[in-house]
Amino acid sequence: MSELDLRTAAASATHVRRVRLSVGEVLASLFVLFLVVATIAPGVLSSIDPNAISAKEAFESPSTDHWFGTDESGRDIYSRVVAGTSTSLLIGISATAIGLTLGLILGVLAGFGGRALDFTVNRVIEVLFAFPGLLLALLVIVIAGPGPVTATIAVGLSTAPGYARIIRGQLISIRSSGYVEAARVLGHGRWRVLTRHILPNALAPLVVLATLGVGQAVVWAAALSYLGLGAQPPAAEWGAMLSAGRTYIGTAWWLTVFPGLMIVLTTIATTVLGRSLTRRTAANA
Amino acid sequence: MHSSTQHRARRALASVASATVLALLLAGCQASPDAASSAPVEGGTLTYASGDAEPSCLDPHVGGNYPQALLAGQFLDSLVSRDADGEIIPWLATEWSASEDRLSWEFTLRDDVTFTDGTPFNAEAVKVNVEHLKDPATESSTGYLALGKVESVEAVSDTVARFTLSAPDSALLESLSMPWLAIESPAGIARGMEENCQAPIGTGPFIVDEWVKQDHVSLVRNDDYNSPPADAKHDGKAYLEAIEWRFIPDSASRYAALQAGQVDVLDNAQPDTIASAEKTTTLAHLDAPRPGASNRIELNAGAAPFNDPAVREAFIRAVDVNDGIESLFFGSAERSYSPLSSVESAGYSDESLFGTDLDEANTLLDEAGWSEKDADGYRVKDGERLTLDFPVSTNQSIPAEQSLFEQIQATAKQAGFDVQLSLLDLSSWYGVLAENEYDLVSAPYTKVGPDVLRILYHSDGIVPAPSGYFANLSQVSDPQLDDLLTRASEISDNDERSDLYEQAQKIILEGFHILPLYDQQNHFLLSTEVKGTRSMPTVSTPTFYDTWLAGK
Repeated sequence: MSELDLRTAAASATHVRRVRLSVGEVLASLFVLFLVVATIAPGVLSSIDPNAISAKEAFESPSTDHWFGTDESGRDIYSRVVAGTSTSLLIGISATAIGLTLGLILGVLAGFGGRALDFTVNRVIEVLFAFPGLLLALLVIVIAGPGPVTATIAVGLSTAPGYARIIRGQLISIRSSGYVEAARVLGHGRWRVLTRHILPNALAPLVVLATLGVGQAVVWAAALSYLGLGAQPPAAEWGAMLSAGRTYIGTAWWLTVFPGLMIVLTTIATTVLGRSLTRRTAANA
Repeated sequence: MHSSTQHRARRALASVASATVLALLLAGCQASPDAASSAPVEGGTLTYASGDAEPSCLDPHVGGNYPQALLAGQFLDSLVSRDADGEIIPWLATEWSASEDRLSWEFTLRDDVTFTDGTPFNAEAVKVNVEHLKDPATESSTGYLALGKVESVEAVSDTVARFTLSAPDSALLESLSMPWLAIESPAGIARGMEENCQAPIGTGPFIVDEWVKQDHVSLVRNDDYNSPPADAKHDGKAYLEAIEWRFIPDSASRYAALQAGQVDVLDNAQPDTIASAEKTTTLAHLDAPRPGASNRIELNAGAAPFNDPAVREAFIRAVDVNDGIESLFFGSAERSYSPLSSVESAGYSDESLFGTDLDEANTLLDEAGWSEKDADGYRVKDGERLTLDFPVSTNQSIPAEQSLFEQIQATAKQAGFDVQLSLLDLSSWYGVLAENEYDLVSAPYTKVGPDVLRILYHSDGIVPAPSGYFANLSQVSDPQLDDLLTRASEISDNDERSDLYEQAQKIILEGFHILPLYDQQNHFLLSTEVKGTRSMPTVSTPTFYDTWLAGK
């Protein structure tokens, strides 16, 4: 880690201590904590097997036995929602990681690789941008076949151009900043300037973007599963649950409301946290 | 044919979201005040919402599936039909007779019928249609298979067509009654596949006017119609002026559109909506189980692990479907224990073969060499997991059925089966079947009469039809069964025929080749303003020839 990075980290730590967290931030953090527990140790939150069917208990409305009711096969929706967290979050986080990594590679090539490379990479990014993100994801699935792994890669690939463009912009503005000039004048090599001075500064806003991106990726993954292209049965995935429940939306609302609520809350929570991170980093800048 | 200005006007109108509602209102205005009485009212557009897959070709000769039949019944007529008692009745053919050796059939045709493009209907047209169905280039499967024994057709005169058969065919008339063998204009066929798929030309009560893919097919009335089947309720042209045939794949949207009055009829009604529609006074339910095969899961005996009968039996013993059928179908589907639909009088059931017994399943699997289990609880043999690939066509399986398959997946797991469900669109699903990459499959097959058994379970059915589809998906290859099915298809005596089919069904059931579930569900919901609609006793598709719209 660079000195600069450490300083920023230290500064923001004192900042957090000084400024009280808002109610929204507390709630968002608690919800994210719930998601983390549901991912790492779902057994803590629910003891019922999410895939245990019981045809005789189908379509039961929410009760003390089944907090969120049961679905068309008598499975407990609460435990399925909990079990679905890991699938949804894993897809969300991995997809964001793939998107960021690819974005980083493309961004660095464009922002630091010279004029010809910048031109080429920019054209590639523009072509990718020409496709709506979800369409690009669908294209990947058509080629590679449906399933959670392809869905992850598909979502990752389709978010990459966005990241690449932001990273490129960052690199270009930092490249001509005073301290980079100074480092160059001091005779530091290209590689050293890139890794010690430019990248650390360019990456800070990415943390924020990534936080926002996870929420978006969860929604996209749910959308793909909703279309039957992501998680396959009996996997409890929020989008797949929404899709299975939509048939019964008129007669059994709890089949769709709870998984839908989880998607909404996850997006809201990551957005709230992402924005508060933005504010804090901006205040520190 | 319509002028281009009319076409533009129609398109412009269609782009207005409320066009349908407007048409319905206009229809309502035309209705006489005493519309509540039983006198049919002429005019109006019926809006139909189909949840079935949109056909890739409207010519039912090509391929030949149920979505095509639903539409084709509105614009094509067949040579014969079937009445509610199962008797074959006249349609485009007025009478027929077979020779002594039953290898030659003569059909006398109506001499006053014209296709909607002006081509006369005659014996030559029948010949062209049969040749079209038998031509591999047509890529027919249903019609091709049904005409397997027809060698040629000869136009003896304008009104007499002679069919020459390679072997007696006790199912010939039943086959000819089906919409997949309906008669099209030879001039229409001559336009080539692409154009004929877009708008086939028949002698039917409606004409295909326009097909906007992924959206709707517009049908307009054939004002010169004069050839209804013998059991129709009226003569002459249809009451409805037009039918707007919309594709609304999502069942909840389809039902919402019906409730809102945006559509008048929907197909593929879901069990929960049937239950709620039956509680209303504005919606009616038409239950029309399809003829032919029951809805069943086929166990692919052509490959491991189901090439071992003990593993097949173990699977059937392991899975429990009765409670699921009851809760998922809200009482609208009854469990079947037969390869044939309950509408087929030749159907044979044996409930005793399908009792659930997990211990028995485990014993059978242990003895079959699948005695070890891996960390996930699935059985393994020689390092291979007991995996069953189960491709499911989301177009051909309603959500309740898909849920039932998930329940099967869960109960089979208790015996150590790893059932891999994959939800596929229709073309991917056909692809997987053609590649032989399945162990379990549910493939509805509709055909008039018990001869469907020959198509589904004769070893000849393992050979793909020109379309690439093969019907014997359980890949049963049993010389004794082949012999029974062949004899049954040639015999003329009805009782002997039924007896042979019963023996054949016993072999299929006792060999654990299939897991019967229920009749092929075919539920329609109609606004109570839609009057006079019935399902054809042939393949249970609704016909709108006698239909009229009552005022509000």
